[in-house]
Amino acid sequence: MAERKLSIAVAGAGLMGRLLAWRLSKVGHQITLFDSGSLEKPAGACQTAAGMISPLSELFHCPLPIYQLGMQSLQHWPHWVRQLEELSGESVDYRQKGSILIAHPQDRSELLQFQQELNAKLGPDNRDQLQWLDNSSLHNLEPELDRFDQGLFLASEADIDNRKLLSALHKALSQSNVQLRENTPVDCGPERIKTDSGDESFDLVIDTRGLGARDQIKGLRGVRGEVVVVETPEVKLNRPVRLLHPRYQLYAVPRANNQTVIGATEIESEDMSPISLRSTMELSSALYSIHPAFAEARVIETRVNCRPATMDNLPVLESEPGLIRINGLFRHGYLLAPALVLRAETEISRLTQATEQVT
Amino acid sequence: MTEKLKLYGKEFDSRLLVGTALYPSPAIMRESVAASGSEIITLSLRRQSPAQQHGKMIWDYIQETGCQLLPNTAGCKTPKEVIALAEMSREIFGTDWLKLEVIGDDYNLQPDPFGLIEAARELVKRGFKVLPYCTDDLVVCRRLLDVGCEVLMPWGAPIGTGRGLMNKYNLQTLRERLPDTPLIIDAGIGAPSQACEAMEMGFDAVLLNTAIAKAQNPVLMAGSFKLAVESGRAARNAGLMLKRQTASPSTPTLDMPFWQQTVSEEKGEEKGEAKGEGEKV
Repeated sequence: MAERKLSIAVAGAGLMGRLLAWRLSKVGHQITLFDSGSLEKPAGACQTAAGMISPLSELFHCPLPIYQLGMQSLQHWPHWVRQLEELSGESVDYRQKGSILIAHPQDRSELLQFQQELNAKLGPDNRDQLQWLDNSSLHNLEPELDRFDQGLFLASEADIDNRKLLSALHKALSQSNVQLRENTPVDCGPERIKTDSGDESFDLVIDTRGLGARDQIKGLRGVRGEVVVVETPEVKLNRPVRLLHPRYQLYAVPRANNQTVIGATEIESEDMSPISLRSTMELSSALYSIHPAFAEARVIETRVNCRPATMDNLPVLESEPGLIRINGLFRHGYLLAPALVLRAETEISRLTQATEQVT
Repeated sequence: MTEKLKLYGKEFDSRLLVGTALYPSPAIMRESVAASGSEIITLSLRRQSPAQQHGKMIWDYIQETGCQLLPNTAGCKTPKEVIALAEMSREIFGTDWLKLEVIGDDYNLQPDPFGLIEAARELVKRGFKVLPYCTDDLVVCRRLLDVGCEVLMPWGAPIGTGRGLMNKYNLQTLRERLPDTPLIIDAGIGAPSQACEAMEMGFDAVLLNTAIAKAQNPVLMAGSFKLAVESGRAARNAGLMLKRQTASPSTPTLDMPFWQQTVSEEKGEEKGEAKGEGEKV
């Protein structure tokens, strides 16, 4: 039975909206993508993130569904990225070299705690996902981490240059028959999009507006995150590195052009003002403690945003006739997006088949 | 026994105070608070730009627990910072209760006793009900009482270490020398057994955060601490027996005639031999 082709409005051109528009248009649906701002420079958390796809690291302090969705995403990113890179002609620097966790000697119990908790959550069958690194195996993977003599290796984890990905998606969408309507704030209802110039009808509306959909998602809140981008040719990391510490959480994600993205604070506040001095100091001193040569790195950029999150910090996918809402990806956008796109696709096939049976 | 915890003229059934930070999600935080049975919860707003009310959503969510809020001044290092934040907390949450923290060391977050006393004096003047997080130093505690604190919260161990009651001698001294002051063990509690022990020692309540929030199952751990605190308090009220020395018997044990025991004690190391002879007889 062939699926009926729908006219679909996607509201919100963040990571979720872009991926959905791209995937759904590929199978023949007629897509209109709305965003209140510019597609060139997205205002949402997708633009601020570090692009880590790290289901194991996140499992440390997140419930199991985040891990399960993340593992599913990990299976799909590689071929989605390949298709996108071909379409757009742009590289998105997808890298699946795993990630490394380290702690200073006095904080060694943090590593043990991480290992203990992950093993408990993963169960006995999955323990090989977590590898203890001694001095030489750590330095084989990351020669620059010579201040540390042990660590944990999470071999399956990946990361992606989020801004390159967003740009590649933009390009692919521009070349497709998706209608792009930027600088157009909207309200979403079943089969209906309301813009400043009136109502428009669609077969289906998908609301991926993040905090823009605050009034529609119960308990949706913003959680402030701060990120710093530094540049130095002196320290070369091969993969994301996380420093475990009793109070600070630091990750350092190496990027092209000798840049490193470091983050991220997590503050229960919907504050979009610039990064605080305290956060700057915490992030940069933690980075400096990883390798002293970071002292001479140049601060290229600081980023601040609020991640949309629900009160249980789990993503929401709600469906009613004519309307699907996806939200609350919190700090897991790149980890969860493909898995949620697939769920939305399943939901849409269900809807279209159901309509056919009725008509 | 239905004796209540009395703090600043208010009565509470629960003797467990919990924090609201570090949980996997706000929803789990609220479930854990409910499971802990706590009626007093601490919260921090230092980094949430309180003046602009950017954290309002989460504060409202915490307030819906119905607990007595105990805003803290975590992260403050000088009395001046403390007072500004305290005034803001009072305005936002409509309570003059305050968990006073003045941090003297960035790494272990140890309280600064000097700043603490200075800040407490000013806050009491301004009408705050101050619950200071302090060390277990008797003199510091007495000074805090002198400036008008009615409740003290000495540490068990530095914040977040989970090391339990590090200096029981000092803590016992506080309990005995300040018998009428409500004393709450704040910080350093890592396991329910440690909370229970604090209650057995006669402390009035226990305050903790990390041990629950960072547990693999925070809700389950919260319930476990609830039981431990109740158990320790009940034990204190029931009257604990004193430890006994039974390694060297004071009276003959049943399976051994008393004259042999005397012999074996006299022989010391040759005890086994003496016993052997006894069996032959």
